Amino acid sequence: MTNADSSSFRLHGRYRELAPHLVPLDYTNNPDIRVPPTLIVTMPELKENPFRDRIVETFSEDGHGNLSFNDFVDMFSALCETSPRELKTIYAFKIYDFNRDNFICKEDLKKTLNKLTKGELSPEEVLLVCDKSMEEADLDGDSKLSFSDFENMVSKAPDFLSNFHVRI
Amino acid sequence: MSTVSEPLVGSSRSLSAAKRHKSIRKNSRRIYSAYQDHQQGSSDDEDKEEERVDSNDPEEMFQNIQYQKEIIANIRTRPWPMRRKLKVLKQAREIVLKYEGRLTRTRGYQTAGADLLKKLSRVLYNIVVLFIPWEVRIKKIESHFGSGVASYFIFLRWLFGINIVLTIMTGAFIVLPELLAGAPFGTTRSKTIPKEHMASAQDLDTIWSLGGYLQYSVLFYGYYGRLRKIGSAGYRLPLAYFLVGMAVFAYSFIILLRKMAKNSRLSLASASDENFTFCWRVFCAWDYLIGNPEAAESKGAAIVNNIREAIVEEQEKKKDTSLAVLISLRILANILVLLSLAGSIYIIYFVVERSQKLEQEKPELTLWEKNEVSVVVSLITMIAPSAFELVSQLEMYHPRTSLRFQLARVLVLYLGNLYSLIIALLDKVNSMSSAVPVSPGNWSDPSSFLATISQPEVDSLSTLVSEISEPRHSTITTIATLLNVRNTSTSSPGSFSNQTSLFEKNTRSQQDPCWETYVGQEMLKLSIIDMIFTVASILLIDFIRGLVVRYLSDCCCWDLESKFPEYGEFKIAENVLHLIYNQGMIWMGAFFSPCLPAFNVLKLIGLMYLRSWAVLTCNVPHQQVFRASRSNNFYLAMLLFMLFLCMLPTVFAIVRYRPSQHCGPFSGQEKIYDIISETVASDFPLWFSKVMSYVTSPVVVLPALLLLFMLIYYLQAIARSLKFTNNQLRMQLQTERTEDKKKVFQMAAARLNAPEAAADKKPDQQESDITSQEASLNTPSPQRNGSVTNFSSPVRHGNSIRTITQSASRAHLNRGRVAGSVRSPTVTILPKHRPEHIPNRAPPFVFGPSGTCRSKSYHHMAYNPPARYSDNIHSDPLYRKAIRSIHPVEAAGIITAQSYGGRRGHTTRYVIVNEHEPRKKLLRSSTRIPRHYLMEEPAEILELYPRNIKRYTPRATQHQPHPHRAHLSHQHLSEEEEDEEDGKGRRRMVSGKAHRPRSLSDLHQPAHFYIGDHVERHVSVVKGAHTRARVRYGGQGEDEEENDEGEMDWGDLELNSRVQANVRAADSLLVRTRRHIHSPDRHCQSPARTRHMESFVKPKMRPKLETPLTESDSASLASSSDQQNSSTDQYIQVIHNKEHHLKADAGQGKLAKKKSKTNFDLNVIESNDLVCSNV
Repeated sequence: MTNADSSSFRLHGRYRELAPHLVPLDYTNNPDIRVPPTLIVTMPELKENPFRDRIVETFSEDGHGNLSFNDFVDMFSALCETSPRELKTIYAFKIYDFNRDNFICKEDLKKTLNKLTKGELSPEEVLLVCDKSMEEADLDGDSKLSFSDFENMVSKAPDFLSNFHVRI
Repeated sequence: MSTVSEPLVGSSRSLSAAKRHKSIRKNSRRIYSAYQDHQQGSSDDEDKEEERVDSNDPEEMFQNIQYQKEIIANIRTRPWPMRRKLKVLKQAREIVLKYEGRLTRTRGYQTAGADLLKKLSRVLYNIVVLFIPWEVRIKKIESHFGSGVASYFIFLRWLFGINIVLTIMTGAFIVLPELLAGAPFGTTRSKTIPKEHMASAQDLDTIWSLGGYLQYSVLFYGYYGRLRKIGSAGYRLPLAYFLVGMAVFAYSFIILLRKMAKNSRLSLASASDENFTFCWRVFCAWDYLIGNPEAAESKGAAIVNNIREAIVEEQEKKKDTSLAVLISLRILANILVLLSLAGSIYIIYFVVERSQKLEQEKPELTLWEKNEVSVVVSLITMIAPSAFELVSQLEMYHPRTSLRFQLARVLVLYLGNLYSLIIALLDKVNSMSSAVPVSPGNWSDPSSFLATISQPEVDSLSTLVSEISEPRHSTITTIATLLNVRNTSTSSPGSFSNQTSLFEKNTRSQQDPCWETYVGQEMLKLSIIDMIFTVASILLIDFIRGLVVRYLSDCCCWDLESKFPEYGEFKIAENVLHLIYNQGMIWMGAFFSPCLPAFNVLKLIGLMYLRSWAVLTCNVPHQQVFRASRSNNFYLAMLLFMLFLCMLPTVFAIVRYRPSQHCGPFSGQEKIYDIISETVASDFPLWFSKVMSYVTSPVVVLPALLLLFMLIYYLQAIARSLKFTNNQLRMQLQTERTEDKKKVFQMAAARLNAPEAAADKKPDQQESDITSQEASLNTPSPQRNGSVTNFSSPVRHGNSIRTITQSASRAHLNRGRVAGSVRSPTVTILPKHRPEHIPNRAPPFVFGPSGTCRSKSYHHMAYNPPARYSDNIHSDPLYRKAIRSIHPVEAAGIITAQSYGGRRGHTTRYVIVNEHEPRKKLLRSSTRIPRHYLMEEPAEILELYPRNIKRYTPRATQHQPHPHRAHLSHQHLSEEEEDEEDGKGRRRMVSGKAHRPRSLSDLHQPAHFYIGDHVERHVSVVKGAHTRARVRYGGQGEDEEENDEGEMDWGDLELNSRVQANVRAADSLLVRTRRHIHSPDRHCQSPARTRHMESFVKPKMRPKLETPLTESDSASLASSSDQQNSSTDQYIQVIHNKEHHLKADAGQGKLAKKKSKTNFDLNVIESNDLVCSNV
């Protein structure tokens, strides 16, 4: 318990660091505090991540990236090293599902690729990769990846777990 | 309360346990689902209900509590916001607390204790984490550079741990006892610095080359006393020395193997690789840990490279235009590498030789001369890898391959270095130990032996005194005389040797021929120099370069950071290799220098700090990152290899060479390992030595060895079979996967069709028809068992086998093909179309067929693959046979139905059953499909039928004439071309014949049976081979008029058949003919008919199912694909046929035959006859 407390204190410290003028130290009145995404994204843990905006959006309750402290804790608890694989898979899916239709469609894939490669691939290459990925992982043939498709694919990936976590 | 009710419950448990369990499950599930849905209020209501339900039954209560606990335990895996999690957690905890109190108290205590324990262990774990060395540092690196770079440091730390243990082992059991209880420094000759070296013993260069005081210290083998027992406790130092030396290797082996086993267990999940090449590269490539811009950049570049590679591999359009050049370049590169390897080995050997010579010739060596060997070796290990890298650029391999090559080469280089060094050293040892015996002449002579030993002993009186105590020096007089003879310098007595002059020159080596110490010195020296070079290279190559690049890039004409010098890359693989090499040195030298592990610990600590500093300050990660998860075992495997190879020389030296005669714990023994037998003989009771002698006798050893070999063989066999099973299971999984795909397709199709179905006028009737049909499908099974028993067994057998082969053959399928084949049915003209197009297919005309095709297609798919790919499966001839044998049975049965009216009832049913069986199988397999498919599936299948019927009635009529023609022509063909057929066809026919009697023993078979059989085989063979053109033909044919279509198809067939596929064309024809047979009845609406329609339509669609295949086999346009349909479905229709229909068909068939055959044969009559005989 003490450990959890101390780490959440630390986390809150980090949270407050982002926006000292917004975040109070006193939560007695349960103030509704949200830190805008532009500030969250500047965290060193996230700032190099090509999907940082998506991560923040995924974990925010309002979907626009404004994180309350609870969301903030959620984010790092889901991304921490010891969080279970299923949870990580769920959030990874959400992160890659850009348009939030609960499917990763080709557009999502394209966006993912472009973010990942910073647009270094030519459109044809992107298209090819999208097609191929879709072909590989799409079990039900609806040319978009449902969560079960995604889960199936990710569960076999050798380094998903080692890659999909953030240390704070 | 609960204590009272417990036994009661126990008695009634057996009765109602199942029921209660079910109810509790239901209840808890309700709660659970309440948690799952997002209305917060509902969970409270459920909660109340829950309370009411199981307030009295302890068993239920307990289960409920268990369930709540489950929720508590799994709460982390739920993707809920923190607030909700907390709420649910609180509720579950409350329930648990509340009810747990009502159960026995002990249970509550138990759980409380468990909780406490859990908390405690967690705290402990957290504390332990604090003490893991460099954890924070490694995490920091990991968060900057990703897991790849961190894996190097983790490996380093692991090695550090091993070395700690080794140090403790040697320190506690060898060094400390020697220091504490052994004879103090200067008391014995082996622990005293010779007088002539005393002056220089403290010089820096002496110390530097590990001479002087260092040489006569616990660092090296020579210092250790030879007394059997030391101290008051009687510690057996020599024995301990030997055992520890061996234990070092044993421990390393065990720990390595354990780690490897653990790793491989962890990486089991990644066994099936290359399944999702692109997906993984897209979704799992980014390392979320990366927080450093440079690392992020290089990671991004690496990902782009990776994806490009995958694209290139996918396209495989890479043309090897300059193949010859490439090959010659590669050969050249390999030659270069080999040359440099040989060169490095030669240089090392040469250097060792030279140093030996120098030592003998020169009294005083310069600093360079003393360290020449290790410097050269270190230089080579530093420079050669870079040279290899340059060379490997010549080869133009794929980066991954080139990295592998590079690693292998570097490893070979390191090994070569170590080996040539140790061989040269042992060579020297050899000459040393051979030189010594020469000087005294005869070792067996006791006096001369004494003389040689005692020569140096005269240096101090104390030594002499101590030596006197030893039993061997019985004759002091000899020593005295020798003392007299001797001068101040330790020249060997001339009377014993005529090589005096030589020995005077190299007094040092002669006086101190402690080769173990020498080897230990060399290894330690090598290790030290290696460390220095590592440090220097880090400082110079990484740090200075980094500084230059960073601060001078402004005043330079090109961009230093991105062009030439760049920042130093952190090459994970090579650095790991270097660590392995380093560890190899330690293992090699540990026996001769017990403090080597301790030194290595220091070295690794230093390396850890320096490296991590360098990585964080001035390195960028390697572009071609070795995958951490996989490379771990790779590193370990190399380490194991190294360990084994490093153990060999040591063991060889121990076994082969005689220990030095007057230094070290084993002095005076013939062999080092004699210490064991000596101990056994003198220190153990008599029976033990007896037992030992038995155990070590060949009578025991040989059988034991044999047993071991047998065990190894057995285990290996098991492993192989497991691997095989593993592969099989994987194939099965893959099959399931494709099946899944198909299922989902059907569902999609059904969904699309659903609205239309609603619009249909008589959907209910149709449905009922279908259901009745299905029912009839189901019922026959007992009948079949009763009346046609001989059928059933082979068929079943066949089915079961078919599944296996299917899975096997699936493996040969590439995914794209299957996917394509599944998808394509929906569209008429597009060669390959995606489900996206489905909405566009507004015209119902096209719509219907697609539905049927889908509904059928899975059946078809289930059936086909074994046949289609039967030729591809080389591995399992057994299966293949089985398949072939089965088909004939079916076909035969069908045809009998056709020809013998009396048998109709039975045979038709049988046919239906036959057809139904695969379907059942499919349904069965569908149970393994994710839940959501399960529910709807059967219904959908049923739904599909009516629609097809409706749409296809008109179409079927259109097609009629053409199949007729085909029918006869086929018959004729098959008759005619039996001779022309290739061996395969014949074989199949034979197999078909062989089987048929079993199934239809009561019938005399017309020739047609055989034809049908083998034709079917052919069809199945051909099936795989549809070209795109074919597909198009199929599509066009649908839209065209009957005659035109037929003619077109036939013309097409004709063209194709010229190639070589007459037979196949014939096959396809056959299928058509069969279909055609029923066509006269088309107007009457029977369930069987509907089926027929489907099957009829299907062939048209089937070609579209198949995406273009590599094999450009022509013939089997449409019909070929569904041999089982033709054989099964259609023969239901056959029953209704009349002879005159067939005859009429025959007449048409002639025409068709003429068209289909390139030469217009005149066997019309023949064919007619055939037909007649048939019917």
